[in-house]
Amino acid sequence: MKQINLIFLSLVVIFITSCSSVSKQPETSSSIIELDVFSSSVDQLLTNKNFLKSEILKINASKPSIQRILNESDSYWIEGNFLKANSGLERALRISKNESSVFLRLAHIRLEQGLEIESSSFAARGLLISNVSSWERLLLNVYVIN
Amino acid sequence: MKNKIPIKSILLIFIIVLTVFTLAVVIVIDQRVTSKLDGVLWTVPAKIYSRSLEIAEGGKVNINNLLKELDLLSYEKTTNPINPGQFYYKKDNIKIFLKGYKKQDSGLYEVNFKDNKVKSLKRQDGISIDLITLEPMAIGGMYPSHMEDRLLLDWPEVPESLVKILLAVEDQGFFDHYGISLKSISRAFFTNIKAANIEQGGSTITQQLAKSFFFSSEQTLKRKLVEAIAALLIELRYSKQEILLAYINDVYLGQSGKRSIHGFGLGAKHFFGSSLKNLEVDQLALLVGMLKGPSLYNPRRNPMNALNRRNTVLGVLRRDGLIKEKVYMDLKMKPVKTIKPSFRSETKYPAFHDLVRKELRNNFEEEELRSEGLSVYTNIDPIFQASLEENIILTKEKLIKKYGKKLEELEGAAIVVDIQNGEIKAVVGSTNPSQFGFNRSLNAFRPIGSLVKPFVYLSALEKYQQYNLTTILDDSVLSVPITNNSFWKPNNFDKKYHGNVPLHKALWQSYNVASARLGIGLGFDAVGKTFKSLGIEKAVSRYPSLYIGSFEMSPFDVVQAYQTIASDGFYSPLRSIRDITNINGESALSYPYKIEQRFRPEPIHLIKFAMQQTFVKGTARGYSQKIIDKWNVGGKTGTSDDQRDSWFVGYAGDYLVLVWFGFDDNRPTPLTGRSGALELWKNFIEDINPNPATKTTLPRIQYVWTDINDGKLSGPKCKNSIFTPFIIGTEPKNIPEVRRRCGSSLEDESSSVVKKLKQVFEKIKSEAN
Repeated sequence: MKQINLIFLSLVVIFITSCSSVSKQPETSSSIIELDVFSSSVDQLLTNKNFLKSEILKINASKPSIQRILNESDSYWIEGNFLKANSGLERALRISKNESSVFLRLAHIRLEQGLEIESSSFAARGLLISNVSSWERLLLNVYVIN
Repeated sequence: MKNKIPIKSILLIFIIVLTVFTLAVVIVIDQRVTSKLDGVLWTVPAKIYSRSLEIAEGGKVNINNLLKELDLLSYEKTTNPINPGQFYYKKDNIKIFLKGYKKQDSGLYEVNFKDNKVKSLKRQDGISIDLITLEPMAIGGMYPSHMEDRLLLDWPEVPESLVKILLAVEDQGFFDHYGISLKSISRAFFTNIKAANIEQGGSTITQQLAKSFFFSSEQTLKRKLVEAIAALLIELRYSKQEILLAYINDVYLGQSGKRSIHGFGLGAKHFFGSSLKNLEVDQLALLVGMLKGPSLYNPRRNPMNALNRRNTVLGVLRRDGLIKEKVYMDLKMKPVKTIKPSFRSETKYPAFHDLVRKELRNNFEEEELRSEGLSVYTNIDPIFQASLEENIILTKEKLIKKYGKKLEELEGAAIVVDIQNGEIKAVVGSTNPSQFGFNRSLNAFRPIGSLVKPFVYLSALEKYQQYNLTTILDDSVLSVPITNNSFWKPNNFDKKYHGNVPLHKALWQSYNVASARLGIGLGFDAVGKTFKSLGIEKAVSRYPSLYIGSFEMSPFDVVQAYQTIASDGFYSPLRSIRDITNINGESALSYPYKIEQRFRPEPIHLIKFAMQQTFVKGTARGYSQKIIDKWNVGGKTGTSDDQRDSWFVGYAGDYLVLVWFGFDDNRPTPLTGRSGALELWKNFIEDINPNPATKTTLPRIQYVWTDINDGKLSGPKCKNSIFTPFIIGTEPKNIPEVRRRCGSSLEDESSSVVKKLKQVFEKIKSEAN
């Protein structure tokens, strides 16, 4: 567990530093190393799907109506009932099309179902949403990279 | 000597023959009885439903469409909604007494709106909630040839009061007889003798059930004998409870078009829009009373007869002490109220049903669809469907007025799709949309004309280091050798050549020659790869005319290809069905939302920009910039050779709509994509008035001002300049000398930003000091 926390901490620090750095700066050797560290950290993160899942389950929807549907869908997901979990998530998207919390869940569920292309596609679609938090963006990127 | 056959032997033979005959008759009747009671009686046709509308706090709602939906669901407008199926509406406020559906409880709910959004949602007790769900609309079924329809009930769903009323009116000695009641028969016999006519039946419930198994209502002695044997056999084989339940599910309660309404469960839904358990005693009394003559006592057709019959039944209940005098008096005074029939047995949406059936047949046998009681939940939006049907008729009428009677045989097709998830919301396959027959949305394969151009231009923009929106294309005479002595020479629609034009302009002006030259430059492989990524499976001939749309596709296949573009490069297979449940409400099959990223979003953003210019300056111009921005519209007109086909495909809000017009015999029309198909597109979109488009964000896109004619850098104050998107790093860098003065506003603009920033900074600094 300590190891996972360490990975996460380093990821967050790297992410924040990468966000705060000015893009006009010429690439330096240190930034290349950061990217490598980022990739390897993502690789390690990806190997622990349970941890990823627990992080995604903590992400709430922006609207209470969607959150209610997510709560129900999450309980089906935890039971392993993908069909009902998926049905709830689709319902949520029909009501509000721009919910990164829904796309994250769909990306992970598809990964659990072994549908890797769909998983990465859902994540990529989630990345197009305006106003996605940095943390959600990072998590979505994990599935895109995969 | 004559051999005499002894009488005894004759008698014996006669007895044996009679016994064998009787046995044979009994066996035949028994087979009929068991096959009915074990099989056919329990068959329930698959029912097809629309999507259910959900109203969420903070969500977008088109109030007019919501009111239309309530009307389609047979909700009654009233000042004081106190019963399920009633509502009250005044500006920005609606009170709905929901009928209840799945997890949605029946009850009164209040919705307040502001700017087409749900401001608040409350229960009757004033408690805020966040979501309500309206029941879906039943839009048809998969009926067997006898068209019997029923809603199967089990004992927990049958109210005790119904059983009491039924036994009091139809068969008081039900639990005491063995299928035939001699007491009832003798009573009926004497009554009929007295009246010299058949006035009263002495049939028990078991006999009535037996009677329904044989498709005849004649009252002959032979018939009565067969029914009596059948009734005895039923009593022998089944328990009283099983017989009563079968009767409750089987009784005939009337017709709805060709469909016959069987059983109290469906009867309750059909006449009162409610489940049997929720009916009041007077409503149950009416249903039971109708058994005597479903047509004569039909409350919709003969309300007075129905009222009298109901009161007669209420009188029986009072007589037998099942209700008290006061209750009887109160109930007797109640009017007979029924809902408008809402179930469409003979579907109004043939083209949509065609799609549903096509998908269903991939997974179910015909017999399963007609008997297993499946519920098919589809994606159809009944409001969109109604609007599309109405508008294809109106648009054709307008076109006939404009171009004359030569357009009377004009045909058409249109499909509406939810861009994000590929759900099919509405479809028509004819300009007479309620007619069954050739479904052009699926089966008309027509040359797509200029609708192919965005596919070709997307192939170019994918190669973003070679092509961008201002890359100059050559729209001068083109002659391509096809065989030894023949050449292919494409023309523009205006029969002119336009020289050098920026790529985006060539698309929104739909220049054929520039497009053909671009396609030839890209090559068949590159364009073919794009086709494949857009979901176009069909093999296309490798002729250069391909690049201006000389090949044929069905409207369904075209709209699938455009779904990928409209949804920013994410392909989702089009779906008419959402979910199928079995008779117990468990999921039998679902059609989940599938997605695959086929293109990077940046080249798609560029092509969508050019498609938006079609509305701003191009072949679909006419909308104000405000409308264009609100709906984030984009589209493409298409006209095939000699104007045989008029196409338009475009998106507005979250919906993609494709329209095709043409003649079935392929003769030329006077229509272009703009003058024909676009008209229907606009009429439909303006009618449904979609909510504003869902916004997306792309950090790798940068907008700069360019000149509309030479594609070079320009400025906001320069003439003919257009704010054009580029993938970062591909935008033009140097401003031409001729525009240095007006284009310098770029610098002015940036310097003014810097100025403002400085001012803010100074202000903060002074405040800190």
